[in-house]
Amino acid sequence: MSFRQPSVLPGFGLTFGFTTCFLSAIVLLPLAALVLAAGSMHFSDLLRVVTSARALGSYRLSFGASLLAASINLVFGFIIAWTLTRYEFPGRKVIDALIDMPFALPTAVSGIALTTVFAQNGWIGRYLEPLGIKVAYTWVGVTLALTLISMPFAVRAVQPALLEVQRDLEDAAETLGAGRLYVFRRIILPTVLPALLTGFTLSFARAVGEYGSVIFIAGNLPMKTEITPLLIVIHLEEFDYQGAAALGVVMLVISFVVLLTINLLQAWGRRRHVRAAH
Amino acid sequence: MSITLDQVTKHYGGVPVVNDVSLDIGDGEFFVLLGPSGSGKSTLLRAIAGLSGVDHGRIALHGRDVTHVAARKRGVGLVFQNYALFRHMTVAENIEFALRVRHMRGKVRRARRKELLRLVALEGMDERLPAQLSGGQQQRVAVARALAHKPEVLLLDEPFGALDAKIREELRRTIRQVQRELGISTVLVTHDQEEAFAMADRIGIMNLGRLLEVGAPHELYTAPATRFVATFLGAANLFLARRTPDGIQVGASVVAAAGAAAGGRGEHEVVAVVRPEEVEVAPARDDLASGFLARGVVEEVMFTGALERLRVRLEDGAATPLLSFVDGDSTTALQVTRTQHEQRGFAVHPGQSLAIGVRRVHVLPTPLSSFTACATSAALAEALVRQPLLAALVARMKTRVAVRVEPRLGVPDAPCESAADFVGTTVLASQTDCAYRAEWLLRRGAQDLLVLPQHAAAPQRVLIHWMGEAVRGATLAVSASVLRHLSAEAVYVGIVPDDGAGGHGMRELLDARSEAKAAHGLEIRTELRYGDVSQELARRLGAAPGQMLIVGVADLARFAERFRAVLDPGQWPVLIVHRAAP
Amino acid sequence: MAASPAGALAGEDRRPGQHSWMHTIVRWLFIATSLAFLAAVLLAPLATVFVMAFAKGVDAYLHSFADPDTAAAIRLTLLTAAVVVPVNTVFGLAAAWAIAKFEFRGKSVLITLIDLPLAISPVISGMVFVLLFGLHGWFGVWLQEHDLSIVFALPGIMLATMFVTFPYVARELIPLMQQLGNDEEEAAITLGAGGWMTFFRVTLPKVRWGLVYGMVLCNARAMGEFGAVSVVSGHIRGLTNTMPLHIEILYNEYNFVGAFAVASLLTLLAALTLIVKTLVERTGYRRR
Repeated sequence: MSFRQPSVLPGFGLTFGFTTCFLSAIVLLPLAALVLAAGSMHFSDLLRVVTSARALGSYRLSFGASLLAASINLVFGFIIAWTLTRYEFPGRKVIDALIDMPFALPTAVSGIALTTVFAQNGWIGRYLEPLGIKVAYTWVGVTLALTLISMPFAVRAVQPALLEVQRDLEDAAETLGAGRLYVFRRIILPTVLPALLTGFTLSFARAVGEYGSVIFIAGNLPMKTEITPLLIVIHLEEFDYQGAAALGVVMLVISFVVLLTINLLQAWGRRRHVRAAH
Repeated sequence: MSITLDQVTKHYGGVPVVNDVSLDIGDGEFFVLLGPSGSGKSTLLRAIAGLSGVDHGRIALHGRDVTHVAARKRGVGLVFQNYALFRHMTVAENIEFALRVRHMRGKVRRARRKELLRLVALEGMDERLPAQLSGGQQQRVAVARALAHKPEVLLLDEPFGALDAKIREELRRTIRQVQRELGISTVLVTHDQEEAFAMADRIGIMNLGRLLEVGAPHELYTAPATRFVATFLGAANLFLARRTPDGIQVGASVVAAAGAAAGGRGEHEVVAVVRPEEVEVAPARDDLASGFLARGVVEEVMFTGALERLRVRLEDGAATPLLSFVDGDSTTALQVTRTQHEQRGFAVHPGQSLAIGVRRVHVLPTPLSSFTACATSAALAEALVRQPLLAALVARMKTRVAVRVEPRLGVPDAPCESAADFVGTTVLASQTDCAYRAEWLLRRGAQDLLVLPQHAAAPQRVLIHWMGEAVRGATLAVSASVLRHLSAEAVYVGIVPDDGAGGHGMRELLDARSEAKAAHGLEIRTELRYGDVSQELARRLGAAPGQMLIVGVADLARFAERFRAVLDPGQWPVLIVHRAAP
Repeated sequence: MAASPAGALAGEDRRPGQHSWMHTIVRWLFIATSLAFLAAVLLAPLATVFVMAFAKGVDAYLHSFADPDTAAAIRLTLLTAAVVVPVNTVFGLAAAWAIAKFEFRGKSVLITLIDLPLAISPVISGMVFVLLFGLHGWFGVWLQEHDLSIVFALPGIMLATMFVTFPYVARELIPLMQQLGNDEEEAAITLGAGGWMTFFRVTLPKVRWGLVYGMVLCNARAMGEFGAVSVVSGHIRGLTNTMPLHIEILYNEYNFVGAFAVASLLTLLAALTLIVKTLVERTGYRRR
């Protein structure tokens, strides 16, 4: 087969050419620079940077908190999506529109706002303080910030799936003798499961790379509350480009592996539902 | 009785979508609920299944009252229009669903599943997913699934809608077979009359939320009791005819009707149904084997394989007794179908003039035939014709409105302008002294009189009352006819004089209800009031908007005085049914 | 069909035999949980922005914009957006045209590349430009010789912002144009219209709402980008500080009123973005 199918519409050369040039300049070249910079190190040096105690601490925080945030969003995202699609209450439309706010809001703004609310004398922080729960400047705060910014992904992934559940299926199950809980467990949940996984994946991916909203609330103590992107920035400020690049590549690789795993899980899950489930 | 419905009513937004439906379905019977979209049949089915509640009435399954029982405890099997199969489960899992819910053991479930798959001819499909099956196969799975838990009743909601003709026929046969084999009482909802005829033991026809008629397919087709059923179950030509001592007179000629009950004295207008296949055409009057109707000109000839369809315009022109044909176009033409045999006997082509004969006429037992608007001037009469409620009734009843000008309407002792009898229902505009005008018309022979306010709209409740036993039957017959064309609640108001003959009053209510049901197929509620008839009616009518009154009178003495309270306010339509006491 | 209320919301009407008290409890529990969660995580922070901005009164709020550095930051942000959004729009249109209207090998590679910036941490997005144009970067020496600077200057900021935001317009337009199909454009061509005319008269009107949506999103992200710009800008006050960076500076100096005042502007921009989004969706345009 030739490179492309002939078409009566004009403009392929122009648009394709422009697109590829643009992408090469803006995406491929810089990424190549990244990979090469990391590659130009001696392997032993690379390993040292990438596995230093500080780096490991930052991975634990970045990836750990992201996983936790994605899990929280899985639960609450489902609850919110369910509430918005199934119940009528005053202000529902406004809340529905507001779900997208973290998507549109600059991360720096969410960062300082969250820090202020959950600081020791903040609106919510002051109630948590006596309970011994410190949010600001701890990993709890990091998780909280990541939950906020990735929340829309979870909700918006689940909403269409819930809307798609045909009411007829629930009616059918009911005439066949199933109670509400059984219907939920056996009919609604399996239908919505792929969307839940997708939401989880998207939340996680978004949270892992997050920088702006986290650095205000995190406190940034090395090995305690330092996220990997911050570590990269520190390397850059010290002009250790190679080290920064190395860490960048590690981040990319781990994210890629995690995403791949989740995608495989999803595909396997779909196949599993095909077989008789027991 | 397997399924018993008793005055089941359901409202949506104030409108009764299912309106006082009562029905008994026997063990093992295959019953079809037939009606156009919006007639309430699906809502009724869902109410039987328990997927929606009812606002009034009772539902019993096999003697057990299930009106307030949840769907999952009713023991019904429901098959949906778009199958509603669980897409993430295999065929086997779908079918076993009901059994799993009941915690049955694996072996038992498997055995039952195999048996059901055999029943619906889908053996071997156990591990397929619904997405891998054709429409017809999916529907079979849906049926098998609904039967798994051995329900007492099988309900099907337009199950063949999404399938094409061949598959539909196959599936019909399969389902009928399965139903016979299991002996399970079944209700199928459809808007397809052919399907109803093919499958039903009995058919119930619904329109505007009411159950109009119930009967075997053949009965309903050859002897419908209402206009709606006559035209819904197949093409029908409707005529305004007169019942005379000699027989049924259609247009200029008298044709003997099947089952013409002696009308006794005088003539009155009736609606007659002639099916297209009962019309004969021939070159001249003498060539006809059946009774002559009129001459006509062929407008259109359509060949449809086994039959030929003709559209014939009658030559009577404006005086034609033919009511406009059902598909709503303004040119009234007679529909005729002829077999190949008849075509060979006498071929026709468009533009040809021929003689038309009628083999069989069925007279509808409905008392309302046509309307006549009566006013003091032509202009006022025309305005009355255009009144919205009247126009709606005329359209729904597929009849016409004539005009009668009486310049001296209401003037005491003045005679009628025209010597013609009053036919059909006379319509009078409601105004300040209309009680006198009403009495004037009634005394001169108007039997049914509708007094209509200018702004009247379709009522939501119709009150019924009659003065004396003599006019009870006629009032109920007229009410039944009107209510078939209105989506409204029917209430009989019994009024007893204040001296507390309470027991008598209650009995009257019960009698009224049972006669309405038995003789006229009409479900009514009942109410008892005390005091003066006219005052109580007026008070009841004034209490809420959107009401209408049908009142039967035998004795016209001091009519205007007695009924002024009801007629003069001019806020609600009043239909007066007058039959002189014998 | 009878007038049965359709749609997911209406299904909860009274059915016989269902425990309505249980239903009501579950319902209120869900609503309460959702609202509580959103209040803590979303609404409280939003409210805080404005409360803190006006903490010292309206005068102090307005005064913070008079600060020359703040004004410069606002100018810089606007300028960046003014360059980045149009460029990305052009790119988005070109890419969507190429992808939606033609069949060619490697299409999925192209689409993956377009989605790439969304999957990468913003810090890395900024870092790659430092690696290219920084002092020790590939072009570093060459740039220095010609006395040009990209990193730690306006061009770098624009490039980094462009990298992070270019997918937005394309991602809206590609599925939209694929869904709308080529029939109308082909009809136009057969009627004798040229490529540009077809594009402006036929395609553009068809996709206008998707375009507006994408541009508005692109703009919001361009003005609000923090991580990538932070790496590339050098944080030189008055010269290479965008609004988000300036917020950081003010906050770290404990100038809360100032920081939140600038933040309030960006929050209003976000609110505006949401309003435009809602209006666009009212016209019937639905995101896939």
